[in-house]
Amino acid sequence: MTEPDELELNAYCDGELSPIATIEFERRLVADKLLRARYVRLLSLRRAIRAIPQSEIPQGLQGRVNSRLDRDRAGQVGRTRQPRWSFRALAAAAVLGAVISSSVMLVINRYDLREEVANQVVAGHIRSLLATQPFDVVSSDRYTVKPWFKSRLAASPRVPDCARMGFILVGGRLDVVGHSPVATIVYKHEAHTISLTALPLRETFADQTIAGYNTRSWSDAEFVYVAVSDLPEADLATFEHAFSEGSLERELPHEHPGL
Amino acid sequence: MFDEVFLPHMAEAYRLAQWLTGNAYDAEDVVQDAALRAFRGIKTFGAVNARAWSMTIVRNTAYSWLMKNRPKVVTFTDDLSEDERKELEQEGPLRARIETPEEIALFKADAEDIQQALVQLPAQLREIIVLREINQMSYRDIAEIINIPVGTVMSRLSRGRQLLIDLLETRK
Repeated sequence: MTEPDELELNAYCDGELSPIATIEFERRLVADKLLRARYVRLLSLRRAIRAIPQSEIPQGLQGRVNSRLDRDRAGQVGRTRQPRWSFRALAAAAVLGAVISSSVMLVINRYDLREEVANQVVAGHIRSLLATQPFDVVSSDRYTVKPWFKSRLAASPRVPDCARMGFILVGGRLDVVGHSPVATIVYKHEAHTISLTALPLRETFADQTIAGYNTRSWSDAEFVYVAVSDLPEADLATFEHAFSEGSLERELPHEHPGL
Repeated sequence: MFDEVFLPHMAEAYRLAQWLTGNAYDAEDVVQDAALRAFRGIKTFGAVNARAWSMTIVRNTAYSWLMKNRPKVVTFTDDLSEDERKELEQEGPLRARIETPEEIALFKADAEDIQQALVQLPAQLREIIVLREINQMSYRDIAEIINIPVGTVMSRLSRGRQLLIDLLETRK
């Protein structure tokens, strides 16, 4: 049994193989007696480990945690009255900053933002296609869409007109990513719908295909943009170009005939 | 915010802390420290994966607590030499022998045997097994919690399971 086999067997037991790899692996399981024996042995190991009785959370621990947090809250109120350059506060900030922000945030950024957020953005696109219309505000007029976002979000993206390049603005909607509302601008290109979600992040995502939709990501000073569509990658690249060019044009609301 | 993010995972946090520290009393201390850290650091929570975020804090707290209070107990992967680390994550000499299906006997182990075998594992392998089998976290979450690549999660998990099986079989 080679090492890749062994890793694959473990991943199969853990339900971590892709659907296609699972089917292939199950075919091999049927054919390979040795592999099957190892598989059964891993399963019996799992059963044995999971049968170890796990202790419940001790009575009173929750209460002790709460009272410690209360003390901390009280302490923080007191601390703010101390001189600003208290060494204790500085040291605490440095330690907490180093421990929590570096180890936790970097990791969260690396794995979850990339995967989870991209998935949620695509889910928003799919949901919008299932609804009667893929937007909350319907308008081919960017001076309608932009204020609509502005009245609902702390930070709203520019809504450029990309019609010259064949991308017609049709409206906008709010999606929820994490637990925050974000702006999604909807464009049409021939019969295809493009959802462009503006996220208040710094790092872009790897371009990828999720649930059959292509995604393309880029950023400017304010937002990371994720475009989702069933358009081919090349057309999404053209769209990025059109959107970035359009964003460079100054938005001059007073030029609009209606204002 | 803190109530929604950390508190729902307290029981799990306690369980993980118990495995990492090896006893119930130390686990209580660790959970309390971790709750405080999470409470103070709640602003750094990225609203993405509350469970992995909470368990990361519990794990980190457990190790810093152990380092401070039980310095002799714990060896970190970072303290290991390159060779030792390779040995941990790759195939050991035991694995080279070719087994037939008949040789792969199904072992019968009671909870106590398993528990003892788990305690004998190097800490780096034990924590992976605990996160996977007892906390039932995904590879991606484990990678995030321990801050290692998913490939390393896979090789350590496989190595840890093999070691456990070897330990249980030599016991007989």
